[in-house]
Amino acid sequence: MSRFGVEGSLRAWDRFDAILALTALALVGYGLVLIYSGSLGSYDGPTASLENPVVRQGLFALIAIGAMFIISRFDYHVLLHYAWWLYGASILLLLVLIPIGQTDFGSTRWFALGPIQFQPSEFAKIATILLLARFLSEQGGDARDLRVLGGSLAITAPVLLLVFIQPDLGTTIIFAAIWLGMVVVAGIQRRHMLFFGAVFLAVLPFLWTFTVADYQIERISVLFDAEEDPLDAGYNPIQSQIAVGSGQLLGKGLTNGEQTQLDFLKVKTKDFIFSVLGEELGFVGAMALFALFILLLMRGIRAAQIAGDIPGQLIAAGIVITILMQAYINIAVNLSIFPVTGLPLPFVSQGGSSLLTLFLGLGIIQSIVMRHRAYRQF
Amino acid sequence: MSAIGDRRVDPGLSRNRPHGNVGVLRIAVVVLFLVLGARLVQMQLVDGADYAERSDLNRIIVESVSPTRGLIFDRNGQPLVQNSGSFTALITPGFLPDDPGSRYRLYLYLEDLLGIPALQIEEAVTAAEERGQRDLPLPIARALDRETALMLEQVAADLPGVTLSVEPRRVYPGGPEFSHILGYVGPQSPDEWRVLQEDGYAYNEVVGKVGVEARYEAALRGTPGTSITEVDAQGELITTIERTDPEGGRGILLSIDSDLQRYVYELLINTMGEATTAAAVVMSPVTGEIYAIVSVPTYDNNIFSLPDPAEEYQALLDDPRIPLLHQALSPIAPGSTFKIITAAAALQEGNVTRYTRRDVDSSVLEFIGEDGQPYYFYDWRVHGDIDLVEAISWSSNIYFYMASCGIPQEGIAGLGSNTEQSAIVLGYYARSFGLGQVTGLDIASTESPGVIPSPEWKRRVRSGPLFNPEDRDWYLADTCFMGIGQGDVTATPLQIAVATAAIANGGYLLEPYVTRQILGSDGTLLSTTEPSRERVPVDEEHLAVIRQGMRQSVIDGAARLAALPDTLVAGKTGTAEFVDPEDGETKDRAWFTGFAPYHNPQVVVTVFYDLGVGGTKAAPTAADIMGYFLENVEP
Repeated sequence: MSRFGVEGSLRAWDRFDAILALTALALVGYGLVLIYSGSLGSYDGPTASLENPVVRQGLFALIAIGAMFIISRFDYHVLLHYAWWLYGASILLLLVLIPIGQTDFGSTRWFALGPIQFQPSEFAKIATILLLARFLSEQGGDARDLRVLGGSLAITAPVLLLVFIQPDLGTTIIFAAIWLGMVVVAGIQRRHMLFFGAVFLAVLPFLWTFTVADYQIERISVLFDAEEDPLDAGYNPIQSQIAVGSGQLLGKGLTNGEQTQLDFLKVKTKDFIFSVLGEELGFVGAMALFALFILLLMRGIRAAQIAGDIPGQLIAAGIVITILMQAYINIAVNLSIFPVTGLPLPFVSQGGSSLLTLFLGLGIIQSIVMRHRAYRQF
Repeated sequence: MSAIGDRRVDPGLSRNRPHGNVGVLRIAVVVLFLVLGARLVQMQLVDGADYAERSDLNRIIVESVSPTRGLIFDRNGQPLVQNSGSFTALITPGFLPDDPGSRYRLYLYLEDLLGIPALQIEEAVTAAEERGQRDLPLPIARALDRETALMLEQVAADLPGVTLSVEPRRVYPGGPEFSHILGYVGPQSPDEWRVLQEDGYAYNEVVGKVGVEARYEAALRGTPGTSITEVDAQGELITTIERTDPEGGRGILLSIDSDLQRYVYELLINTMGEATTAAAVVMSPVTGEIYAIVSVPTYDNNIFSLPDPAEEYQALLDDPRIPLLHQALSPIAPGSTFKIITAAAALQEGNVTRYTRRDVDSSVLEFIGEDGQPYYFYDWRVHGDIDLVEAISWSSNIYFYMASCGIPQEGIAGLGSNTEQSAIVLGYYARSFGLGQVTGLDIASTESPGVIPSPEWKRRVRSGPLFNPEDRDWYLADTCFMGIGQGDVTATPLQIAVATAAIANGGYLLEPYVTRQILGSDGTLLSTTEPSRERVPVDEEHLAVIRQGMRQSVIDGAARLAALPDTLVAGKTGTAEFVDPEDGETKDRAWFTGFAPYHNPQVVVTVFYDLGVGGTKAAPTAADIMGYFLENVEP
């Protein structure tokens, strides 16, 4: 029996976490409904068209689900084996992005591959999680040692900095959270935690000036061209607050939200899709979304819990943290308790590359769940 | 077997056995979603109603659609006002960005575009916010030129809170001689706004400030329409929910003949000489309509539609001649023109008849005052033995002293049983002829009632630390001076014209008016002013005597220079003495009031100069006006 084989995978389908997959599908379905409502004002072409954002998103979802199944068939140790290569490729892509990437709203985050936008930082998340999992597990899955901790930080810091200079504050925070979450799971010592907390507080003023200056530049440019920047402006937080708040308990009904339909909300199928939900489906609709997310995340944590080995546990934890933080920051932006950063709501927001990455992540989790028995035996 | 079961079976035996702290993740999930949930409860359940209201405000725009202000025409249909466009930059503080930095950048941008200092804009906005007028569009730059306005319109969509409004502007093409009649429009004062907002006025809507513009504000303004529209985030119209069209303002057809008005204005300017102010009233003794009412100096009412009229306005306020004051509505001693009222009183009371003769064989009348001392009254010449008609014609002071106060030691009865009573009787007749009260001319202006003194009035106004006790007493001289229109008597040129009209028309006190007709916005006649008249308590036979005296005055009396070749003119001069406060010298004010034609009066003319002699200065001017009127104006 090869360590990296797929033997016993037929048996392993029994352990496929259907609840996790169905919850993710439910979130995608929820997203399709909201994308439909949010794009009524901007899309008036035929229903069955690749131009229709709902159709596009549905198509991407099918591809992404297919990818999830394929990935789940592979042993995640294959990915671990290539973790350094994947990581190196991410760094390279992020570096290449600096001169040739697409600059939108003053931030360079994308490659344009024909009609598809490819965001290297999405790919870098998975690669970083894999490498951190491999590195920490090779050190005995133990982050108590300061050298191990330093090594993990050395792995995270380059990607984090490359994302930070794009600038992409949201993704930077995600990387920080991935690192922190994974070393916590790997058992960081409390005094080390305090040390890093102190360092963080020390650099916070610098971070703050940097990001606030960026934020204001965008806000000012928005002043003179409201169309230019949907990502960042005093305008969007106000409009999203009004949208969410005015939804009240039950919402105004799907496709009936004035803020949404009269275009007061910007990027409403992407960054501000939660505001559409808040306005049209109200508190009840938001609670339903929260329930789906909590269920999904708890299933992910279960995967970490039952993982057959340390790298499996750390990978699952890293993916859970990514989804959790991305959802949290996106919703927090919609609720005006976090500055506008331009992160999509996982599974829900329109966007192919985000969807693909997320289902790849779920595929890896499935792979971990399906093999937890097998690795338990070694 | 369940995951939990697994954990129980072999706790941490294998080196590969995951031993991570996964529970922390569960806590993180729960805590973060609790934070979001709490915020949602606050926004949607606690503050939800407020946000719902803001959502409505976001998209429903209720606007008042301003009507076109009505036009004003002269009696021949000549337009005296035009509507033209005026571009105004407005800021609605409530729509500005909240962040002070962004706001200031917006002000700086406007500074570049409009040339208004950013600090000034900031102050104006702050002041408006402190007044609680966050949601009212605040004008920050008026009367923009067309290019600037177009540039502002292009960028306004991207400047939150900034809008361009096209406001109608009033242009008065007639010249300054119409300013006192037409008045002008201007922005509402905060006090006016408090009242006018109840009538649906927009804050930045102009209102008539004085003149016909103010007096007929309600008619000229029209009825504003409303438009309730749903807009999207760019302010683009989505649907019109409701719209009522505005109804244009009413047109106003004045009784003023603009050519006559201009003629009189120029005539006064050319004949003023040393005088600094002058006034003339040309009115109908039949209806009371005013054909011309001129005040010199005047002002250009177009300056009030300048972007910042403060400088010009200050210059007007600083001018010692007070150009903003309507001289024809400002009271001053009427002098001998008042004798026609004294004559009417004496005839009606019966202490004088047409044929009562007095021998004015000296220009000085000596009489013994209340204190036993001799006092002297002067006439302007020795008239000899004259009757009432001659006394009016030659404007004898002594004759009218006798007619009003009487000379007790010579047994000549005054108007009443005693000095005070005589003054009260004279005051009654003066008021009957419209003096001592505003005429009610339909121009919103500072029309003063003037003063018709009485013993009671003197006691009241001469009280206080500035006066001696004996200053409050009414003396024989008070009544006598009153009888010749001097002393404390004051009247406006318009009041004298109205009194003259009552004598000319056989005893009817008319309410003067400048607005002849109100027209619909399409020019159809809506209403015509009905002349309003009241009988004066003097019999027609007595009034005929006065008319005869006035006619005689033009034939061979003091008003000879008022004569016209083809028309019989009747008139009364007045030369009111006053002491110039600057040099202490006694000077004269020139008056003339008269009517023509004598047998069928069509026009009353009253002329006043603040310096000059009535017979030589005012009378010829009046004759020119009458001549022009009879030749050129269709009554």
